[in-house]
Amino acid sequence: MKKYPVFFVTAVCLVALMLLFIFWGAGMNFDYIIPKRLERLAAIVIGGVCVALASIVFQTLVDNRILTPSIMGYEAVYLMWQAILLLLLGVQGLSLFGIAGNFVSSAVLVLLYSWMIHRWLLGNGRNDVYRLLLVGLVLTMVLGTFTQFVQLRISPGEFSVFQGLSYTSFNRASSGTLLYACAAVVCVCFLGYRYLPELDVLTLGREQALSLGVNEPALVRLYLALIAILVAVSTSLIGPTAFLGIFIANMTYALTRSRRHSLTLPVGCALAIALFLLAQLFVEHLFNYKTTVSILVNLVCGAYFLMLMVRVRAVL
Amino acid sequence: MITVQNLSKTYADKAVLTEASTRFPAGRVTSLIGPNGAGKSTLLMLMAGLIKPSQGAAFFEGKEVSEIPVSDYAKKVATLRQTPGFSMRLRVNELVAFGRFPHTRGLLNTEDRQIIDEALEFLSLEHLSDRYIDELSGGQRQMAFLAMTIAQQTPVLLLDEPLNNLDMKHAVQIMQALRRLSDEQGRTVILVIHDINFAANYSDQIVALKSGRIQFEGSVTETLTEERLKGLYELNFEIIDSERGRVCNYFTPHTGV
Repeated sequence: MKKYPVFFVTAVCLVALMLLFIFWGAGMNFDYIIPKRLERLAAIVIGGVCVALASIVFQTLVDNRILTPSIMGYEAVYLMWQAILLLLLGVQGLSLFGIAGNFVSSAVLVLLYSWMIHRWLLGNGRNDVYRLLLVGLVLTMVLGTFTQFVQLRISPGEFSVFQGLSYTSFNRASSGTLLYACAAVVCVCFLGYRYLPELDVLTLGREQALSLGVNEPALVRLYLALIAILVAVSTSLIGPTAFLGIFIANMTYALTRSRRHSLTLPVGCALAIALFLLAQLFVEHLFNYKTTVSILVNLVCGAYFLMLMVRVRAVL
Repeated sequence: MITVQNLSKTYADKAVLTEASTRFPAGRVTSLIGPNGAGKSTLLMLMAGLIKPSQGAAFFEGKEVSEIPVSDYAKKVATLRQTPGFSMRLRVNELVAFGRFPHTRGLLNTEDRQIIDEALEFLSLEHLSDRYIDELSGGQRQMAFLAMTIAQQTPVLLLDEPLNNLDMKHAVQIMQALRRLSDEQGRTVILVIHDINFAANYSDQIVALKSGRIQFEGSVTETLTEERLKGLYELNFEIIDSERGRVCNYFTPHTGV
């Protein structure tokens, strides 16, 4: 533990937060309140893990500390697909399609989108951050507007279902979805774990990694696929997270002062989970549901994003 | 060891390198010289397998470079480009440890640690071993990256302008280190270099490029002559052979013309 003080401290804080979340004001009610909270905790843990892993690995792949999957429009693609599904199939159709069908089709679509982005925007080696950022935000906006257009075509009942999807929330996940999500994340971690040393080398830059024997194109393809799955899981489980990824990734780099993934990835996950827990605790106990997790998280992370843009300008 | 045949690279109609054919002798230091935009770095990147040729091929020990798996090639040929602008926190010894990656995939044993220490020692960097890269001067950082490349323990080293932005002392240190790599360890060093006098004093072989074509090649004494350099750089040169080596003076091109 001497080697990883950051890791140790984060882990202790995290466990404390989790216990607080489960037992604060629960009155030892093991029949209803605590099982419900455990379900929410599971959604928070899986969602946090997805957002943190996807953001940090994505930043390594594109060699940049500002871009994240959600900024590049990944989540917008997911939401657009949900709206289209609702329009085409209706609520009953959506449930017929099943959790698995919906999830797999979304993941495939996000994956296609990410390959397109990678091919046309990132592939040519011109990694101009501000251009990418602009394109990402415009794409997110275009996809969002198209989604709104689709929303106008669907019935009010379906509209309310969709509204539920487009905010960050930990209450929507059923235990069935949780199970699928958990299985998907475990698979992703298992597949991704093997190539963590390669990711570390990639932080030296694409060309240096190639000349150190990392098959960079294959590595990028693999991790883009894994990221697509993670984004599909997190968006279906807890909704879009906007600037959260940037906040998590950069806080992690600041805390660990390292780019070694065996350190940054676990710390990032812990940070994301802690942030979600805090937001949910605030919503439940301080604001009495008068505000939402979405608003709190976006307030903190959006402010941080602005700060980062102003401060990092010189570095980029 | 490395040969190129009929090698060309074109970017959107613009030929950067045209039909280059040559072979690089094993165990020697070869300098690629020529004006800006001559295609030196492109030739080096093609040999490193970092870019794909538009035509022709580079060969390593008779095998086409683009056919050799990246992970195998990294055990044979180490490439160092200009060092990236570094913002991450990394200690010098951690950076040098990346040089062992092609052999170990990140799990270092005692032998690897020894090789890392030797690489640091070779460039007299032991005292910087625990320092962070972003706290070093440009010259020290360049040395640290070179140490990583040395720790890769490949028979061939390809270096793209290793003297870029270095002061004279660091430049001399690096060139002496490259010379020793070749003389003591029999490694093949191929480098792109702008300072003609470093090329003249530290290399065995010169390959001169201009406008994407190989202009001339050969040993230092036969290539670095007044007429040839004048043709290459379009400057008047005065070649001075002293006991301490050959100096190509181009600083005052108009005197004595």
